[in-house]
Amino acid sequence: MAVDQEHFVHLARPLAPSVLGFSASSAPLTVNIQPQAIFSIIDHAVRRDLRDTNSARVIGALVGVRSEDGSEVEVRQTFAIPHTENEDQVEVDVEYQKNMLALTLRASPRETLLGWYTTSHELNSFSALIQNFFASPDTGTFPHPAVHLTISTEAGTAIETKTYISAPVAVNAERAAESCLFIEVPRKLLFTDAERAGLGSVSAAAQNEDRSAPIASDIEGLAQALETVSDLLERVSGYVGEVLDEERDGSHALGQLLMNALSLAPKVDPSAIEHDFNNHIQDVLMVSYLANTIRTQIDLAQRLATAPLAAGEKEAGDRKEGEDGKDGKQEGGNRGGKRGGRGGRGGGRGGGDRSREPREPRETE
Amino acid sequence: MADSQKDVPFKSVQVEALVVMKVVKHCSSSFPTTATGSIVGMDSNGVLEVTNAFPFPTIDVSNTDSHQNDASSLAAAAPRAKANIAYQNEMIRHLKEVNVDANNVGWYTSATMGNFINLSFVENQYHYQRENDKTVALVHDVSRSSQGSLSLRAFKLSPSFMAAYKEGKFTTDSLQKSKLTFKDVLIEVPVVVHNSHLLTSFLHQIPALPDTPEVPLPASLDDIQRDPVKIPAHPSFDALDLSIDPFLEKTCDLLLDSIEAHYTDLNNHQYYQRQLAREQSKITQWQAKRKAENAARVAAKQTPLPEDEWQRLFKLPQEPSRLEGMLNARQVEQYSKQVDGFTANITAKMFAVRGNLLPE
Repeated sequence: MAVDQEHFVHLARPLAPSVLGFSASSAPLTVNIQPQAIFSIIDHAVRRDLRDTNSARVIGALVGVRSEDGSEVEVRQTFAIPHTENEDQVEVDVEYQKNMLALTLRASPRETLLGWYTTSHELNSFSALIQNFFASPDTGTFPHPAVHLTISTEAGTAIETKTYISAPVAVNAERAAESCLFIEVPRKLLFTDAERAGLGSVSAAAQNEDRSAPIASDIEGLAQALETVSDLLERVSGYVGEVLDEERDGSHALGQLLMNALSLAPKVDPSAIEHDFNNHIQDVLMVSYLANTIRTQIDLAQRLATAPLAAGEKEAGDRKEGEDGKDGKQEGGNRGGKRGGRGGRGGGRGGGDRSREPREPRETE
Repeated sequence: MADSQKDVPFKSVQVEALVVMKVVKHCSSSFPTTATGSIVGMDSNGVLEVTNAFPFPTIDVSNTDSHQNDASSLAAAAPRAKANIAYQNEMIRHLKEVNVDANNVGWYTSATMGNFINLSFVENQYHYQRENDKTVALVHDVSRSSQGSLSLRAFKLSPSFMAAYKEGKFTTDSLQKSKLTFKDVLIEVPVVVHNSHLLTSFLHQIPALPDTPEVPLPASLDDIQRDPVKIPAHPSFDALDLSIDPFLEKTCDLLLDSIEAHYTDLNNHQYYQRQLAREQSKITQWQAKRKAENAARVAAKQTPLPEDEWQRLFKLPQEPSRLEGMLNARQVEQYSKQVDGFTANITAKMFAVRGNLLPE
């Protein structure tokens, strides 16, 4: 599933000064953002410390993978970078960035630095400065363009993301470091199937007043899904009913879609269904039965292994008084019998006092 | 650890959405190899808040003859590997600088159909829980999550098991005394997913059901196909999937594995008992011989030989640990519960399908 924005004007990417032996690709670039990257940016934005920095925005690095031809990048994770910003200067903790990048890449060696993010849509000369840092050959993504992701985290407004790449541009050589041309590139929010379930429970929590939800069990999930489906069906049949009663105008497109959908319903022989149904349900019940039988067996084995046999203990206790010296041998024999409990040859041996280790010196006194 | 802290163990685990997504992503991307990582957060008023997570470095096994199981077992052992403890501390130190809760609260691991209960799991959790009681193991079941709803569970070791594990004694004897059974090994802690305000706002922007009752009608079929209806992530319709055979197959496989393990365990114990019986009969023979000898010596007015020398001469075999068996039993219990849940689920689906295809 990808959440895509609808229309996008692809602008030609500015050509970066090319290096010998490397032909810069000018193919359009698409940025795919995975939800956990956005989530962690949002988390960072929430945790920013308003005391030591005047800036309302936070910055961090984007880490992920780049497709071979460089036309697509996938942002997989991000990490925050402490920075301070005031009216005339910006400081980014370069050392921190370097260390954190090294740490991150150790855990996911296939990923690389892709660019950086900030939490305001404003592009100013500080942005250019940081962008040039991230695009530079030593510390950044050169020869690939650095991706700049902005995400608005203003309270009360919609959260928007924008992605840019840049080209060097300057009025003169001195100002080259703090200017660059940002070009917006298309981006997608990408969910893989594996994340669907995770996202499902997260959105379940989003619908609650207290922003939290317990993890639903499978059966609850099924019940919810079924309810939703039956609501949707109700809605469709309500709509069809209204069209039939000429209460509202029908739509050819919807009609066609419904016909197509209905024609997908399999035409099968009732007896075949009955047969398949019975087979499958028997399979399921069989596995369930087996699993429970095995559980009972093993439970029993565990119990027999550790439980002192009450009657046997008393007997053994009596015997202990009588013939102290022979105890070791008795126990040995009894032990063998006790473990055999599972095989059904345990009980007859009279059990044993298993709470005593045979090497206790009592026997020799 | 202060005693007062010990008195209030956390009742539930509150996992931030960020952690859910990170764990899900890491586990599913490395599937079927086991993935492990560390979680950080804090504990407040009996709720353990898990606010961030990071994966452990993967050990490169490509230079040795790469084998999937090797990678898995290395990853499974990662949380207690020395190198990773350093890595974890370093990472936490860095996270602290950007105001992330800098307390380790445990670790996470991936699992397939609930097959996570093994020695390695217990060792990892012991490693964490030994130092800090407020740590938890998050288990994300990749296979079960792909079946529908997310399967993320939190476990900790029970205090009685911790005590037993500390002594490292799992003999029949000690188990009898402590009344420890396989049901007491792990305590499951309920998991709650939590979102920040900002995230809630973001989540409401990704597709949800249209909230206005009237939506503009599409002009043509093409319109619908080009712009398909965006299905909301919750409730997920993946739960309605009817595939059951892979599940049953996998469960049977795992059960067979467990039976195998149980059988091995059983054999070990029987071997031990035979061994013990043999040794003991030898001892008794020796004792009888020595007694006779002594009787002869007493009759000959000589000093009797000591009778406890057998302790030096014979060595009794060590009783094999019962821990494996306990964990195996716990694992089987888990499977069977899982199958029960699955049965309930699939029967409902099957009857629904039949009811649909075979109208009365």
